[in-house]
Amino acid sequence: MTTAPPPRPARTPAQVYRQSLWLLTSRDLKVRYATSFLGYLWSVLDPLVMAIIYWFVFTQVVDRTIGYEPYIVFLLAGLLPWMWFNGAVGDATRAFTKDAKLVRSTRIPRTIWVNRIVLSKGIEFIAALPVIVIFAMIFGAQPTWGVLWLPVAIVLQAILTVGLGLIIAPLVVFFRDLERAVKLVLRFLFYASPIIYGLGDLPHGLDFWASFNPLAGIISLYRASFFPDQLDARAVIIAAIMSLVILAIGILVFRRMVRAVLKEV
Amino acid sequence: MTAETVIRVADAGIRFRRNRRGRRSFKDLFAGSKRRSRPNEFWALRNVSVEVRAGEAIGVVGRNGQGKSTLLKLVAGVMLPDEGAVEVHGGVAPLIEITGGFVDDLTVRENLYLTAGLHGMPKREIDERYDEIIDFAELRDFVGTPYKHLSSGMKVRLAFSVISRLEEPILLVDEVLAVGDKAFRDKCYARIDQLLAGGRTLFFVSHNERDLKRFCTRGLYLDKGALVLDGPIGDVLDAYNRDYGAGITSTIVD
Repeated sequence: MTTAPPPRPARTPAQVYRQSLWLLTSRDLKVRYATSFLGYLWSVLDPLVMAIIYWFVFTQVVDRTIGYEPYIVFLLAGLLPWMWFNGAVGDATRAFTKDAKLVRSTRIPRTIWVNRIVLSKGIEFIAALPVIVIFAMIFGAQPTWGVLWLPVAIVLQAILTVGLGLIIAPLVVFFRDLERAVKLVLRFLFYASPIIYGLGDLPHGLDFWASFNPLAGIISLYRASFFPDQLDARAVIIAAIMSLVILAIGILVFRRMVRAVLKEV
Repeated sequence: MTAETVIRVADAGIRFRRNRRGRRSFKDLFAGSKRRSRPNEFWALRNVSVEVRAGEAIGVVGRNGQGKSTLLKLVAGVMLPDEGAVEVHGGVAPLIEITGGFVDDLTVRENLYLTAGLHGMPKREIDERYDEIIDFAELRDFVGTPYKHLSSGMKVRLAFSVISRLEEPILLVDEVLAVGDKAFRDKCYARIDQLLAGGRTLFFVSHNERDLKRFCTRGLYLDKGALVLDGPIGDVLDAYNRDYGAGITSTIVD
């Protein structure tokens, strides 16, 4: 009946990569959106509730001297990217363990196990962007030409997050403690990054050191959409260099460890 | 035979840790691979060289834990050798995990699309073959059932059905057929015969002498991680039986 294997049109490695990456990413999104009634709303609700809490504390309770008006827009411009970063780095700790069976039985390029997390969280982030637009309209924040920095911010953040994911994902397979350590560091980083405040709100001198946190430069790029003064060239350049260095380290660590990871998963 | 070489295993070796507690240190990570200290490791395979030509059917023989499955995993590309090289030309359909690597929480249908897709089958082709795969696995009434609720027989049926339909030139089968019931096993055998007749290359791990003789022409005998003999399947089985008595037919399942 069956004759020789029908030659399947040869596909380039890039096509194979894309197909597998998209299969896993869309599955992640489907699971999150299709299985719950509120679906999409959940990815908006989370940053929204946080933003409202901080807005309430800093505008209604405490006499605030940080950030810009309207504060809720200022806050969301930092919180939404943070949710992407936090979610992707947090999930990267389980990149290999969560789908161990698939990792063990397929030969797709292994970086996909990390990149699919960054991509699916990134899509959720972009899907949540309309929230800022709505609040900007309600509170009358004017978009500026700084909005052109948005793609740069997204690319930089993707580079940074992929780099960190490539470092963390394989290491967690061997050092289980790292999973909790990462959670702790993330909590610290939330307050150490200019999310509820701006880089300029820091005491003089401290802002220099704070700009070595790549998130500082990246968030200043996001905020430039509404608050052009927030754009801090020094912080952005440092963020770009740091992100690329972290990505390079990530690729190195990942290459070194992938053999051992495949034996261990 | 002048068929082209599809699998070339050159001096391949892979080592594993003996115990789970053997921690790797950060120092290990950055030290050169030669200088690393690895007290608790053993070579699951070492100095194994094999060349396989298109259309060959190869049976892998050896006692448990001698490296048979590891060799298949290297050929499947799901593990990477620490030494030497494994080159595979053409796609591989690997049936090496008894469960086929399906995800517990997804339904049969979702698993089928995910796994076939990750093995490189374009969506359009999966659509075309979907009915055939489900019917072969006899899971028509269970397409919406989460994978974890299937019986172990059903799981194997699904795995074999999907993997054998990937239409890849190389098929790897690792003892999974021992699990299904007889009726399904016969179906699988018929399917393997069909694939072999169609010019596929087969890599077959089994403890069942009858099966090995039925499908394979060439045998590889692995012992303690080394390739002891590479020859016609009859000679290989004789050598194995000589070394370990005639126990091969009685131990069907691992």
